[in-house]
Amino acid sequence: MIKNYIKTAFRSLTKNKAYSFLNIFGLSIGIVCAALIFLWVEDEVNYDSVNVKKDRLYLVKENQKYDAYIFTHSSTPGIMGPELKETLPGIANACRTSEGQETFLFSQGDKSVYASGKYADPSIFSMFTLPFTQGNARSAFAQYHSLVVTERAAKKFFGNEPNVIGKTIKVDNKQEYVISGVIRDLPANSSLQFEWLMPFQIHLDNSPWLKSWGNNNTTTYVELKSNASIATVKGQILNYIQRHEPKALSHLFLFSMNDWRLRDDFKDGKMTGGGRIEYVHLFTIIAWIIMLIACINFMNLATARSEKRAREVGVRKVLGAGKNSLIFQFIGEAIFMALVAACVGLILLTLVLPGFNLLVEKQLSLGLGKPYHILVLLGIAIICGLVAGSYPALYLSSFKPVSVLKGIKLKDSSAAYIRKGLVILQFSASIILIISTVIIYQQIQHVKNRELGFNKNNLLEIDLQGQMAKNYTPIREELLRVGDVENAALADHSIIYGGNNTSGMTWEGKAPGSEVLISQRYVTPEFMATSGLSILEGRNLVVRDTGRPIHMIITKSLEKLMGKGSALGKTMHYNGDTTTATIVGVVNDYVYGDMYGKPDPVMFMVAKPEDNTVMYVRIKPQADIQKTLANIQGILKRYNPAFPFQYRFVDDQFNGMFLTEMLASKLSRLFAALAIVISCLGLFGLAAYTAERRTKEIGIRKVLGASVASVTSLLSKDFLQLVILSCLIAFPVAYWRMSLWLKGYRYHIEMQWWVYLVAGALAIIIALITISFQTIKAALANPVRSLRSE
Amino acid sequence: MIKITDLEKFYRTEEVETIALNKLSIHVNTGEFVAIMGPSGCGKSTLLNILGMLDDPDGGSYVFNGVEVAHFNERKRADLRKHNIGFVFQSFNLIDELTVFENVELPLIYTGVPSSERVKRVEEVLDKMQIMHRRNHYPQQLSGGQQQRVAIARAVVNKPKLILADEPTGNLDSSNGNDVMELLTDLNEQGTTIIMVTHSEHDARYSHRIIRLLDGQTVMENIMI
Repeated sequence: MIKNYIKTAFRSLTKNKAYSFLNIFGLSIGIVCAALIFLWVEDEVNYDSVNVKKDRLYLVKENQKYDAYIFTHSSTPGIMGPELKETLPGIANACRTSEGQETFLFSQGDKSVYASGKYADPSIFSMFTLPFTQGNARSAFAQYHSLVVTERAAKKFFGNEPNVIGKTIKVDNKQEYVISGVIRDLPANSSLQFEWLMPFQIHLDNSPWLKSWGNNNTTTYVELKSNASIATVKGQILNYIQRHEPKALSHLFLFSMNDWRLRDDFKDGKMTGGGRIEYVHLFTIIAWIIMLIACINFMNLATARSEKRAREVGVRKVLGAGKNSLIFQFIGEAIFMALVAACVGLILLTLVLPGFNLLVEKQLSLGLGKPYHILVLLGIAIICGLVAGSYPALYLSSFKPVSVLKGIKLKDSSAAYIRKGLVILQFSASIILIISTVIIYQQIQHVKNRELGFNKNNLLEIDLQGQMAKNYTPIREELLRVGDVENAALADHSIIYGGNNTSGMTWEGKAPGSEVLISQRYVTPEFMATSGLSILEGRNLVVRDTGRPIHMIITKSLEKLMGKGSALGKTMHYNGDTTTATIVGVVNDYVYGDMYGKPDPVMFMVAKPEDNTVMYVRIKPQADIQKTLANIQGILKRYNPAFPFQYRFVDDQFNGMFLTEMLASKLSRLFAALAIVISCLGLFGLAAYTAERRTKEIGIRKVLGASVASVTSLLSKDFLQLVILSCLIAFPVAYWRMSLWLKGYRYHIEMQWWVYLVAGALAIIIALITISFQTIKAALANPVRSLRSE
Repeated sequence: MIKITDLEKFYRTEEVETIALNKLSIHVNTGEFVAIMGPSGCGKSTLLNILGMLDDPDGGSYVFNGVEVAHFNERKRADLRKHNIGFVFQSFNLIDELTVFENVELPLIYTGVPSSERVKRVEEVLDKMQIMHRRNHYPQQLSGGQQQRVAIARAVVNKPKLILADEPTGNLDSSNGNDVMELLTDLNEQGTTIIMVTHSEHDARYSHRIIRLLDGQTVMENIMI
């Protein structure tokens, strides 16, 4: 029986090539979309899964309560990790690492390359899953100046040398380190990323301030014992800092590795449950919607051409086929079609995956070696087949043999209504996707065009390395002699990111108990002019302001916090310290850290060049960038010959802060376009069948004098009505969904009505173009021939 | 074999009710060859459909082989049909996507005959109908006469007790038509009961008895000698 069904299905497929193409191609695009999204989701959901102890690993985070909000961050005291392990019985192990990534110059012979990594406790090797390919975890940090590198870094430093253990390499032209271990490269979907690791002890010895319980500048991870109660440990850790600093504002909590990637959004000190998971959910829904759109094509085309299958149904029923066996046959056919579509989809996937990887900046692979990938693909195809085949199967199997064999014209009204409903559903989904795409794009542009308070364009950031700080003055003078450099300055933190901040400042008139978080920035006096900050009151900082007496510049919002009137001449000091700092100038507020938020106030003080970490160079707007960069490189090479020139543009860093949103924007654009393409494939097929069904009517109308235009508009009218109805459904749904999305951003656009109109008009135009081919063809046909066809 | 009593069938549209069969009573004995004749709209095809259990009556009784089947549900009807009745249509009604062999095989599949047995029986019947050489052709590659032979082969492959033929020669030229009638006569001589609806007096002459219908009622019965 099944053989017979497959034969019929296959022959019917090859006989109706255009129909089969529309169906299979539509379904395969649907399957490709879904497969791409699921590959992306799989990668996201499996983030950090490389770690076998994933369920027991936690990041120690802090909540600090201020007047305006609760600040949640991952900076902890540098001496806390070992003590947590000693004192809390539920903690099996603790590991400290330096924050972010440190970039050093690694030199061997005459070869020098930059590489980024971290200082870490040796416990990192047992807590995280970091398999050694050379050396071992036990002896990795046995020596003080030891260095563990990834395979990729080993290749970068030593080429193809097979064994690098025991080799030495000079770091930042200062200290020789011995390679003590090589570990396998970290997968791209690991939160922990580095090229090298050095013992945390070195970091601790070089930075004495790490040893204070009042300073937060270390990342701490803990591993819970397998039998530990998370609730107990959380209770014990909450006021842990207060054991050493009774007045500290910081309260610790544990953040599970299972949530690092997808649920890292905090509000009022608590996890909101949001984060990237929202995009995972959103795109999973989009995947199913696109598949549904493809399935709807199948249903519509199958029922529209049901007359062609009616006789077969009749004959089979006469010969003894029951309704169930026919339902089984037609669903089987749909599943067969979906499986063919999955095979075509697999070929398409292989072709488009590299492009998709570029788009989402991942290294996804089809992973056909993994049985569950094959199972998922099969599952998708079978679900598609079941969904797509269900309605046609019920519809076709309900034909009465007496009617169909007698050639009585089938009453199509119920099927026609359902078909229309399904087309409306398809177009509603497509229009919602179009509107969402436009609004996401507008929101990103809105934030990107936000007045930041400083000029991010043509601003170069260079790490201060080697002899650069020492030679700052001559370097700056030479840079200014390059015609295209407008200014240059030093700072201790990147202008665009959050940096050091303190809540320990007080001033006359500050309300008792008030807690205000203030960012503190050390800069050279040229910083304001170089970055584009405007001095609103008072004067700029000068070199003389270095050291005591302390003079500072504050931002406008801090001035407001300090009370009415000008802040010039007012003083502030650290709690418990009588040394005061006098305010000599006020600059405008500027946006840093969170591009959507309201930034904390900032105070600027002057630091000696060697206390800074980055150099900023302002390039003139009309400059030839490549030529100017070459000039800057030449100057730095002269004053800092050991270090290769490395730079970044602040506007690139700025763009990098919208990666998730940009991804959402790119993906929604892609999937909206595909949804429309699939919907149009279905509409094209449906228009063809409608034209065919109405051949006689068109013939009669033409004989009676109807023009081509009137016939075309007659046929188009029905479809247009459907698209207009789709708009009416799509508009409120899109409005509701996008309002929710925008609410997630403090700095967001107001939706504009014209977006909806444009999306609706676009859908109508696309639908018109799609059906025009069929309608015009039908309208141009010779009426004599069409009348004879009946 | 067949006994219908006071059989009624109405067709209703929103405004009109048409009586297709009006308290019709007929009986057909096993091994008979009966022709049903009458003008268009007299109820011949409706009767044939009810006899074939493709349609159900609105009133009256239908006893098939001693069993009252008038109120059988679709599943029971399908079951009874596939084991006992073969159909031959005017327009052949072969499935275009299947070959001659596969078309003839279809009823055996629905009655669950094992594959090896199916091949044997299909070959046997194709041989008998002299279309064995066309076994791998598709219906559209055959002439009308050949298509009707295939349809008859399909109707008899399950060795049904009853064959219902609805104007079996209506789409054929006279020579092919005669061939088909000869085939039906042969089948009847081998014991199969045949009920045939026809417009053709010539074809009706092949039968044992002609039942003439008008407005859903029997108006005359002719016994053929």
